[in-house]
Amino acid sequence: MRVTGRRYIIIIFVIGALALSACGAEISRSQNANMVDSVTLTNKGSDTIVNLALAWAEAYHVTYPNISVSVTGGGSGTGIAAMINGTVDIANASRKMKEKEVANAKENGFVPVEYVIARDGIAVIVNPQNPINRLTLQQLSDIFSGKITNWVDVGGENRPIVCLSREVNSGTHVYFLESVVRMGNKNDETFFSPSTLLLPSSEGITSEISHNPNAIGYDGLGYVTDAVKTVAVSPSDDGLYIIPTIKTVIDNTYPISRSLYMYLPEEATGYTKDYIDWIYSEEAQSIVEELGFVPVN
Amino acid sequence: MIRLSRHHTERIAFSVIGLAAVATAVPIIVIVGSIFFSGAEAVSWQFLLEMPRDGMRSGGIWPAIIGTVYLVVGTGLISIPLGIASAIYLSEYATDSYWTRMIRLAIVNLAGIPSVVYGLFGLGLFVLFLDLGSSIVAACLTLSIMTIPVIISTAEEALRSVPQSFRVVSVGMGATRWQTIRRVVLPQALPGILTGVILGLNRAAGETAPILFTGAAFFLPKLPNSIFDQTMALPYHLFVISTQVPEMPITIQYGTATVLITFVLTMNILAASVRSWQRRKREW
Repeated sequence: MRVTGRRYIIIIFVIGALALSACGAEISRSQNANMVDSVTLTNKGSDTIVNLALAWAEAYHVTYPNISVSVTGGGSGTGIAAMINGTVDIANASRKMKEKEVANAKENGFVPVEYVIARDGIAVIVNPQNPINRLTLQQLSDIFSGKITNWVDVGGENRPIVCLSREVNSGTHVYFLESVVRMGNKNDETFFSPSTLLLPSSEGITSEISHNPNAIGYDGLGYVTDAVKTVAVSPSDDGLYIIPTIKTVIDNTYPISRSLYMYLPEEATGYTKDYIDWIYSEEAQSIVEELGFVPVN
Repeated sequence: MIRLSRHHTERIAFSVIGLAAVATAVPIIVIVGSIFFSGAEAVSWQFLLEMPRDGMRSGGIWPAIIGTVYLVVGTGLISIPLGIASAIYLSEYATDSYWTRMIRLAIVNLAGIPSVVYGLFGLGLFVLFLDLGSSIVAACLTLSIMTIPVIISTAEEALRSVPQSFRVVSVGMGATRWQTIRRVVLPQALPGILTGVILGLNRAAGETAPILFTGAAFFLPKLPNSIFDQTMALPYHLFVISTQVPEMPITIQYGTATVLITFVLTMNILAASVRSWQRRKREW
């Protein structure tokens, strides 16, 4: 009795395994049949771009149901490294590739190709309760490097300043460090002050600032909501303060703006080329504007 | 100085211990309760079975659910046979030598490694070196490495708890060692082994770090159609919608958390009932 019972289990198991593998074979066969039509492009990198990339992938899939773009975040550095290692088709980056990264790519046998797919203004944001409305670049540099630690020194209330920043893997972090904290000076070794809180996402910075009246931080324009206040920034001390908007980013009057990039391991061909071409279409660039970024054309 | 009688001392000790027990239970009840309370309204058939829309801010979480199921099934296919076989070897065949002690030590240590280390290891070995790419198969292999130590240690424990006299009698009646293991020891240990398997796979279902670099996608416009595709998964989906998507409705975040917790709780309850069934059915 026992033996037959056990046999049944074994038989059922074997049948199950066979059925499973048959399913598997069926799936891979149907996939082969559809090979010409069904394509997945992988797209990874900047957390600034991830929501834009998601919106593009969604819209593209609606128009071309046979092509799907899988999107992953992780930071510009992560995406570029994955592209160099050949694990993704397209890297998203909110900064230019570093010389060392280009050299690594060449070691792996290819020269990466750069596409500017949108522009972005980096807004400096504070809590709406904070009376500060404007700051100069020099003041921002002093605040984030820790030389100014109280709002009173920049014309505010007597409260300590809490600086928030993205973590080092973020292209936004690198950009802000180079063009604001170091004010574009390549030989400057200044760093964010050690008391700066490094947050893992732009969304996290917005949310923390909306709750903390002492906090100051920076985010791509697309991440600024009504729960925080955007500060006008002046590039020099001449009294001309500029609020980041699509217009001031396009005409380059707002001092903290940058390009957003996609990097491919080689000149785009086939499905990747179609996708990149579509990104420059009116439809795709209108999504850029909807999400609070600045279109390239 | 007041001297408490030993009865008073006992009463105080019991209250303190009792309070400690309550204090550990309260956070769990509060967390689960508040998530269910806020998430229940978001959960509907549409929420469970639809693709996400509008930058994941509306629609459902179907690809994340199905992704987690794929990962758990794949991890089970790899880790259950390997884990149980190793446990049988360690408990029934291996002699107590230097090497088996080293293997046991390695297993215990593997179980204590932080999950992000598994993720990076999987990235190095499966994704890059074996060139599987960021894919379901690489994620399942990584999760398996994390799950196997759990399965081995619980399965070995279950096998060891079968009384030695069962084996002696079986062998004494002329059965071979393999017959004894298959017909006597394994059936008795099965419920204990199942508990370990469920707990191990449960951990695989809830982890984010091991799949972060090896197969999880932020967003996919369709379901994966091969094991070499990336996939969405519930824990990672919950992580990204609560940290990286601006203006994400809070109901969808709570709804996703509710689904994930229900998934994990169901598996836990399953493990608990298997364990109590085992106690009732035990033949010794």
